[in-house]
Amino acid sequence: MKDSLTALCKLSGHPDSRCWFVAWNPSGTLLASCGGDRAVRVWGREGDSWVCKSVLQDGHQRTVRKVTWSPCGNYLASASFDATACIWRKKDDDFECVTVLEGHENEVKCVAWAPSGSLLATCSRDKSVWVWEVDEEDEYECVSVVNAHTQDVKHVTWHPTQELLASASYDNTVRLYQEEDDDWVCKATLEGHTSTVWSLAFDASGQRLASCSDDRTVKIWRECLPGNEPGTDTVGSDLSWKCICTLSGFHSRTIYDVAWCRLTGALATACGDDGVRVFREDPTSDPMQPTFFLSVHMPKAHSQDVNCIAWNTKEAGLLASCSDDGEIIIWHYQSEA
Amino acid sequence: MATDGAVPLPGLVEEFVAGQQDGGAAAAAAGVKAGNFTILQLVEALGPTLTSSQSQTRARGIQLLSHVLSECSGRLSEKEVEVLVAFYENRLKDDYVVTPHVLHGIKALTKSPAWPPGLAISVLKSLFQDVHVQSLMLLERSCIYTILINLMELKEEELKGLGADFVFGFVQAMDGERDPRNLLLAFQIARNILHRGYELGSFTEELFEVTSCYFPIDFSPPPNDPHGITQQELILALRAVLTGTVCFAEFLLPLVIEKLDSDIQSAKLDSLQTLAACASMYGYRELKEFLPGLWSSLRREVFQTASEKVESAGLSSLRAITSCLSRSILSSDGDDALRVFLDLIIQDCRHHLCEPDLKLVWPSAKLLQAAASASYRASHIIAGAVIPQLMEQYNNQTQCAQRRTLLDVLQGFVQPAQDGVPAVAEESVLCGFREPLCEVVFSALSETNAGLQVTASRILSSLGQQPGLLSTSHVELAVDHLRRLILEEEDTQVCPAVLECSGSLAPLYPDVFASAMIPQLKAEIFSEPMLRDNGQEAVHTSSQHVVRQRCMTALAAVSCHPTLVQQTAPVLLQVLSSSHTGSGLFSTDDIIAACRSLQQIAEQVQYAEETGCFFHDVIIPHLLGLTVQAGLQCDNQDSIPPQSPLTEEAILLAIVPVLSTACAHLQSELAALTASRVVSLFLDGDTVFLPGNNLPLQPQLFQKASSSCSGSQLVCLLMACVCSMPKSVEIPQVDRLLSELEELSCTSTHPFSFTLAAKCFAGLINKRSAGQALDLVLERTIKRITSELDCMSSSLRTQALTLLLWVAKALLIRYHPLATTLTDKIFSLLMDPELAPLAADGFSLLMSDSVDVLNRACHADFRIMYRQRFFTENSAKLVEGFNSAEKEMKSGYLKALSHIVNNLPRQVQLTELPALLPLLLEALSCPDQAVQLSTLSCLHPVLLDPPASPALAPQLDGLIFRLLGLTTSPAMKVRIATLRCLHALARFPDHMILPFRARVLRALATPLDDHKRLVRREAVAARGEWFLLGSPGR
Amino acid sequence: MSGSTRLENANPLIFERSLERVVTAEEEDESLADPIDDREIFDLIRSINDPEHPLSLEELNVVEQVRVRVNDPESAVSVEFTPTIPHCSMATLIGLSIKVKLLRSLPHRFKIDVHITPGTHASEEAVNKQLADKERVAAALENSQLLEVVNQCLSSRTA
Repeated sequence: MKDSLTALCKLSGHPDSRCWFVAWNPSGTLLASCGGDRAVRVWGREGDSWVCKSVLQDGHQRTVRKVTWSPCGNYLASASFDATACIWRKKDDDFECVTVLEGHENEVKCVAWAPSGSLLATCSRDKSVWVWEVDEEDEYECVSVVNAHTQDVKHVTWHPTQELLASASYDNTVRLYQEEDDDWVCKATLEGHTSTVWSLAFDASGQRLASCSDDRTVKIWRECLPGNEPGTDTVGSDLSWKCICTLSGFHSRTIYDVAWCRLTGALATACGDDGVRVFREDPTSDPMQPTFFLSVHMPKAHSQDVNCIAWNTKEAGLLASCSDDGEIIIWHYQSEA
Repeated sequence: MATDGAVPLPGLVEEFVAGQQDGGAAAAAAGVKAGNFTILQLVEALGPTLTSSQSQTRARGIQLLSHVLSECSGRLSEKEVEVLVAFYENRLKDDYVVTPHVLHGIKALTKSPAWPPGLAISVLKSLFQDVHVQSLMLLERSCIYTILINLMELKEEELKGLGADFVFGFVQAMDGERDPRNLLLAFQIARNILHRGYELGSFTEELFEVTSCYFPIDFSPPPNDPHGITQQELILALRAVLTGTVCFAEFLLPLVIEKLDSDIQSAKLDSLQTLAACASMYGYRELKEFLPGLWSSLRREVFQTASEKVESAGLSSLRAITSCLSRSILSSDGDDALRVFLDLIIQDCRHHLCEPDLKLVWPSAKLLQAAASASYRASHIIAGAVIPQLMEQYNNQTQCAQRRTLLDVLQGFVQPAQDGVPAVAEESVLCGFREPLCEVVFSALSETNAGLQVTASRILSSLGQQPGLLSTSHVELAVDHLRRLILEEEDTQVCPAVLECSGSLAPLYPDVFASAMIPQLKAEIFSEPMLRDNGQEAVHTSSQHVVRQRCMTALAAVSCHPTLVQQTAPVLLQVLSSSHTGSGLFSTDDIIAACRSLQQIAEQVQYAEETGCFFHDVIIPHLLGLTVQAGLQCDNQDSIPPQSPLTEEAILLAIVPVLSTACAHLQSELAALTASRVVSLFLDGDTVFLPGNNLPLQPQLFQKASSSCSGSQLVCLLMACVCSMPKSVEIPQVDRLLSELEELSCTSTHPFSFTLAAKCFAGLINKRSAGQALDLVLERTIKRITSELDCMSSSLRTQALTLLLWVAKALLIRYHPLATTLTDKIFSLLMDPELAPLAADGFSLLMSDSVDVLNRACHADFRIMYRQRFFTENSAKLVEGFNSAEKEMKSGYLKALSHIVNNLPRQVQLTELPALLPLLLEALSCPDQAVQLSTLSCLHPVLLDPPASPALAPQLDGLIFRLLGLTTSPAMKVRIATLRCLHALARFPDHMILPFRARVLRALATPLDDHKRLVRREAVAARGEWFLLGSPGR
Repeated sequence: MSGSTRLENANPLIFERSLERVVTAEEEDESLADPIDDREIFDLIRSINDPEHPLSLEELNVVEQVRVRVNDPESAVSVEFTPTIPHCSMATLIGLSIKVKLLRSLPHRFKIDVHITPGTHASEEAVNKQLADKERVAAALENSQLLEVVNQCLSSRTA
């Protein structure tokens, strides 16, 4: 196998704690990280190395679980076990907390901006998904609370171009939502995983969605237009998504994150067996029944569980991962193709 | 009539009343004390003020007067008191701003002893009538209580004359009190009322109500409470009130039953302890009506509690109640209160003893045992109901674990309890069950289960201790069992239990042990190895040695009676003699075990004169004879048979404590005789008193043959005998002896010989009376040592240093003035290129207890504080020496320091620590692992002691930094000791160590993966504790 | 957590504690490596206090050495525990205590799985799933009330 994964840089991201999540900004110049030390850090490149540009503290009382950039790149949102989400505005080289979104009963697990930047979604252990609307004055208003899941909601993510929201849950399902009569409603339930679904990723087109789970598999789901072949996995709703591929037998423990590179189409996973893996689609396979092959496996990529994996938005092959050991690693992925 | 120079009185008064200056009051008080004016003159001067129409002015005037009185009340005459009291009493009706000062004044007056009759009653009436206590401030309420307390001391009879009115007044006054300090005072008054027999009249319930409303006390002192009142103080003060009279019984018992239901553990505990306290003073009449309720509460608590404190308090209460009922006299109608109550208990508990799963067997047994321990009659009733059943259960059970539990329970009933002991005429409650009990015990002893055997041997001991429970045939059977177990049983729990049981029975039944135990043990010890099939002699297997050594231990264990000693000690002596003559039966370990047993038996010398004589006449001469013979024989290099094992150093060192223990306890005439015999043996070769006939004539025991096997090493025997005797025993020819010893210690090339000679020399010097003779010897010896040490080319410098160390120690521990000269010499050797390491380790010798000489067991002249003194006098020298020493010599100083500090008492370590810490931290960084280890072992106890924390505060950062560095030391022992220190640090106050938590937790993750399990264990313990730090639920 | 709150299982059977591990000559020898074995893991968890009895998990037979499996070279530990009664509401808490104790005591390289002994609890699957979810475990340990109870289970109570 000629494909390779090389560590470019190791950052002691959240020492004495675990690093839960990393996120690249839209221009690919900054990386935000968050962790058990209740802080968010922003890292930037200086020469060959990456350095911490700012530390966002005092926003949260407990673990910061996820962090995400607004599509314009001027805002950060963070979700915390303290039952709140914070919105941070970039000001010169620093960030200031402009809004605290309160309302969830307990731990907020994830926060995500819609492609337009005018909608924001949050989810929580309280089983609900909230959709917030943002106006020009940075005022946030909750427009909808959806209680579709029967257990914790672990992750939310938006379609890359449309106002379509997806969520993953401890109840082993993935659900999709759209706005209908000023309210957000669940339009599809994707069943197939046999344990907690930890994370989701759309491909560049938004036609396909990857999900990863405690059942040690990654599943690829695809939208089926109405009137398509029978036997679709969704029932009684307007949307119809079907599992077209399952990657099983590659991972030996829980898969905590999956990332789909919007530049190259490569699919990377973060796994509880300390490994990082990159998969690629066999270009000759049927798009409706694709086959993926393991391009690179980096066992012991970290010394503990890998929690998150993220492709750089602009520079193909640049990949960031983070782990329970508190470290962040920036990798370079190179493929023959 | 102010005298010259003093401030005139009217001026003082005016200044005080008009201004806010309080200094005038002190000046006025000083004036009265100095006799410049009288109190009445002060009152006169105050006249206009006291009658002013302004209440503020009146208040100020009275304040001045009260202040003066508070300082001078002792000097008042009866007349003055009368006038002042009348004045104050009248002022009680005055404006509220005046009242506080009036109360302070009355309080001051109650400290005067000169109260005319009748006045107290009058004041009290006014107080109760005119003062509304509840509207007063804390300090004034406290005045009221103090006034009552003082008057109760002063005029008890008069107050009692008030009848129940006094109690009523007090009840009204204290009603609603909330301040803990005042409550302590109020409880004291209530207690006085009850204990001193004040009339309660119809106010019994009121007094109970007004005090019991605080029960159970729920008070936690505020942080930084300057008054230091604890919840426990309040609890005890209130309990003294509530349990102060039987009249409260009808109110208190229902209250206790109610509060026992509380969810708060401290309330439960308080209720139980209060119950135990009151039950011990109540009679049947008070308890009668509440017995069923009390029992069901107590049963519930003991059955359900998760707390040992609650359980033991519950059991104490039950015992107190049972003991109370045991005291009650049988009433004529045959209503036996005790039996009725116990029947209730037996009925509720007994069936749990027979449930097959034994779930509630322990709490039931504990309840029954608590009740049984209350009185002989109670134990009789309960034993009769329970023991047969337990034995039946035991006999029917098949599972070992269950039988073990039942036997453990049975043991609890068999143990003699203090109050369950029968009176002279009564026989043990167990008499009726002795046959079946013995049967159970013997059958359990025959089991293969270790737990059953251990418990059975304990029951056997208990039975043996109680007269009349074991018949002769029982004892014989018991000894058979014990003997069998000693010979056969290898279990690490059973062996000590069997030996303990044997030791407790032997002095009670010496004849049986003499005939049925000792001969058999002897036979086992001397049993020949089994022959192999081919007829060759087999080598003893290791298990045979183990059995043999166990037999020897058993011989020592049963030797607690003179007649038994006379049988056992010769057996052990025979082990030595037979190995000397070359029987080849015994290994070195066997012989050492025999010596250990002999030493244990030698302890008996102090308890029986007969045993002392026996040791003097038989054991000591034989032991010396054998050893001297062995030493002299082997001196002859070509001797046949081959060397006796009694010349081995390890065995000689085991013989030393036998002799020294015996000699240390010999009666004085025998000691003197032994001393003179031993001295003439060594100096003149006088062997007359030694048994045996193949000793050479006049052997030279001090000969300096430098071979490793020489008679010179027999000097250890000399030390064992002459250095262990009390100072009062005169050692003959001591100067000659000392010079021989000095010669030997300075010239022998055999380390064992020169070291023992030095120790013997030191042991004699230590007890030698101060004076010219001693000074001469010392002068000579010091000179010799010094010249030897100063001669760098000498080959005998080690010998000189050894003698120096021991002599220094001998003088140091008796505070002899020459000690400093010697210890300074040792300090100077820390810079000696050749001897520095030896000198550094020498400080360990100086500071620690030596096992065979110069200790208290050897009657050494020993000052308990010598270590502190040495430390105080020398620590500066050490620090200075360290600072000025060459780099490569520094570690010697650190080693010396850690030896010294390590042996200091904890309290001294704590006070000296701040000054020494920088050096100790330096020592932790010293690459010498021995220094690190010694420093860590001296830090550890200090760190465990919470008061150490303030002293350590400024150095904490450096300490933790160095400790974390040592967690990866290459030496396992260092890593372990380091982790223990880090563990101890986790108990420091949070505010000091919390800042280090993250760093320590991270660093301790590494040793969790250490390749040695013992290190990981310490790392887990330490890290677990640091995790709990600053975290809830610690 | 006062003494008189009603216990679910007021009178559990009590099992004997095992003896302390005997220190061997190999353990004293610096040059040899002692692998982490089942007994070592068992020693870590056997003294954990039960949340509602003054007894250790070993005395209640909630943990047993035969239900501990460790693979030192592969850095994996698996522990099964057996609740005293099938409806024990403390099962999650007990499992959490075991998990936390192991997390604090084992090298970070270890993957730690804590499960209920199959067939011994009514909500076996649900409890197992919760214990395996590290996000829930992390959040639970940031809840001071829960942490307090867990710490009490883990602190060396003086008998």
